[in-house]
Amino acid sequence: MSAFISPNDLTVQPGGLSMAADVARMKGSLLNNIRRSAYVYRVDCGGCNGCEIEIFAAITPLFDAERFGIKVVASPRHADILLFTGAVTRSMRMPALRAYEAAPDPKIVVSYGACGCSGGIFHDLYCVWGGTDKIVPVDVYIPGCPPTPPATIYGFAVALGLLEQKLKAETHVEAEGEAAPLAHPSIPYDLRVQLERQARQMAGYRQGRTIVEEFLSVLEARDATPVERRIAKLAGGEGDPRRAEIFAELAGTFSRMLTGGTP
Amino acid sequence: MTATTETRIGQPYLAALRKKLPHAVLEERWQTDDQVTVTVKLGSLPEAVATLYYEHDGWLSTMVGNDERSLNGCFALYYVLSMEGAQKCHVIVHALVSADDLEFPSVTPKVPAAVWYEREVRDMFGLRPVGLPDERRLVLPDDWPDGLYPLRKDSMDYRFRPEPTADNETYKFVNDSKVETTVVPLGPLHITSDEPGHFRLFVDGETIVDADYRMFYVHRGMEKLAETRMGYNEVTFLADRVCGICGYAHSVAYASSVENALGIRVPDRAQAIRAILLETERMHSHLLNLGLVCHFTGFDTGFMQFFRVREKAMTLAEMLTGSRKTYAINLIGGVRRDILGEQRLTTLKLIGELRAEVKRLIDILVSTPNFEGRVKGVGLLDPQVARDYSPVGPVVRGSGHRRDTRADHAFAGYKLIDMPVHTQAGCDILSRTLVRIAEFFDSIAIIEKLLEDTPTGPILTEDFAYKPYKFALGYTEAPRGEDMHWSMTGDNQKLYRWRCRASTYNNWPVLRYMLRGNTVSDAPLIVGSIDPCYSCTDRVTIVDVNKARSKTIAYKEMERYCRERTDSPLK
Repeated sequence: MSAFISPNDLTVQPGGLSMAADVARMKGSLLNNIRRSAYVYRVDCGGCNGCEIEIFAAITPLFDAERFGIKVVASPRHADILLFTGAVTRSMRMPALRAYEAAPDPKIVVSYGACGCSGGIFHDLYCVWGGTDKIVPVDVYIPGCPPTPPATIYGFAVALGLLEQKLKAETHVEAEGEAAPLAHPSIPYDLRVQLERQARQMAGYRQGRTIVEEFLSVLEARDATPVERRIAKLAGGEGDPRRAEIFAELAGTFSRMLTGGTP
Repeated sequence: MTATTETRIGQPYLAALRKKLPHAVLEERWQTDDQVTVTVKLGSLPEAVATLYYEHDGWLSTMVGNDERSLNGCFALYYVLSMEGAQKCHVIVHALVSADDLEFPSVTPKVPAAVWYEREVRDMFGLRPVGLPDERRLVLPDDWPDGLYPLRKDSMDYRFRPEPTADNETYKFVNDSKVETTVVPLGPLHITSDEPGHFRLFVDGETIVDADYRMFYVHRGMEKLAETRMGYNEVTFLADRVCGICGYAHSVAYASSVENALGIRVPDRAQAIRAILLETERMHSHLLNLGLVCHFTGFDTGFMQFFRVREKAMTLAEMLTGSRKTYAINLIGGVRRDILGEQRLTTLKLIGELRAEVKRLIDILVSTPNFEGRVKGVGLLDPQVARDYSPVGPVVRGSGHRRDTRADHAFAGYKLIDMPVHTQAGCDILSRTLVRIAEFFDSIAIIEKLLEDTPTGPILTEDFAYKPYKFALGYTEAPRGEDMHWSMTGDNQKLYRWRCRASTYNNWPVLRYMLRGNTVSDAPLIVGSIDPCYSCTDRVTIVDVNKARSKTIAYKEMERYCRERTDSPLK
């Protein structure tokens, strides 16, 4: 496989369905004036079960989508909303289309989860079609891997026209002469890299980041107290033994590097 | 690897194999102290596997096909046996298959557990198991063209999507019964929590005479994806998405397979954190299954209560990993998040609440007379059938076999603790449920123990380099049983081959025997009792062979019948 291959050359498009004009009109008037419960039918098109379980969690006591009149039903013939999960595997294309045909018009199609919305991590694989909208027209996308139950309920509200789907976008335009500030300019770069690496190996990406920032801010502080004493105070005054251990390790690295040793 | 002759576990098995088949063994290679790959002559393959399986307490854990034509001109097969006799280790029987005739002698006639694996290797590599009784497709969809084998290195780009060859299903279902039967297909879509699967029940009146099923509706091609588009660390996140319920177990199994292959020593603290998260996952998964057992026995209050309590386990997972489901916390060499003092306290508080609440619910559940009436003596899995097919997890433990990877082949943090194994001799749904209940409380105890004296030190090592064409096994005990991964590193910072075998894969073949002799109304309950990352149905077609007529009933009706057991839809 040396030459560049465009995925479009490899891929047969399954051919999606389109919506008749009168069905679209019926759907519009349904959404304008929906004053009743909405029934949901789930179609698993090859999901990993993560989405299925989260939908399940959304209808059980803690989240309880039924209080909004949203009920999961056993047959597509009873459904107002079809919920498609999964990246649409080859085997599930025909069963999914049959479920779509079986639901009465006007129906609302929700594409659920990262795989349903776009094919997710599987988007270009040989045995999937890469998302719900490749085979049926989709009205609402609920992203997430998997979407949490609150996101699920929010998505239903959008599908029923109870809420407008809001997309939040901010654009930053670089001003004249604007530059990203350097992090911790007063600390030697090699030292900072070593400390950050060690904090990551001790406490992981997220917590390691917070811990090393605390440590670096103590190093940087403009204070009359000698830096060794400030560091000792940081580790000694820590109530959590694990954090104290990590601060002590960082302090050790710091003093080794100060005296010219290897970290 | 660093394994030395003295510390190697499992040498008696090799000695026995050499004695029984003097000229068959060609080579032995040790991946770790308790993993050895024995190369045998292709003709002796069935005999070698059967000897280890039946004479030395071996269980078939997985089988790996590999296209090694670019390395040695042949295809390779690796039959992985989990040896659970006096010495606990893994012996991998390896044989090369010529790229010219592509044939190998089938192991299935001697060891029935190999049947699905050999069907799969036929689909994916085009190798022909000679003597395999069942030659239907297993993994690939019905609309896939013949003669195109996705996992061969030279067959196709991973993005290649051929034109569908058919718009209808062409799978042939097998019925072994001697009497005339009625056909009841279930699936593939279903209301509750499930992945698709198509069942066909062959019934005589209300009694199930035989059953067959078509799975792999969700085959997506992950193994090919891991070998082509992803690097080593990315595959840990892909493995999270093998299953939405027990994905973390896959992620750990994959990471440890690469770590074993390269001889990476993962810090103890990382191993303890992995074990804590695996147990968190087990808690939510077992509560899910207990809830569904309630649902199928018509005890919906219990179902809702278990799901209410289960949310505490989800909160715990979210607090520890940042995500309710796909934890995304493994890297090769360790984990990405620590458990600091604050999280430790919250964890202890949450599992304390879980213990009290679940205990109350369990007391209610087991003292409900209706419950015992529905699950006792139903869905029997004969211990000998279990022995032949190597099922895993609560399914095999409910039939009296002491198999638990956490105890037999301690991995991750389980090396740090004494691991109890619970078995039940009833072989029925009740036994499997009781095993899960006991394991739930074990999970709480394990988390408490590991939080009490967590090892100190780092959680991640980056002190290693990838070497090409190293391979090894990695394994975990997922809530549903053993997950087995086999990885071979490549020379381009990608895996050469990744074989992932989920626990339920080993449990499906025995389901047929569990369904036989039971009534139709118990079918959803029995399928539920193997906790199959749920699968069932959307409609039920009844075909009466005698009258040559068929009738379709909604799945809802079927489920209602399972729960209420009145007004049979078969009449």
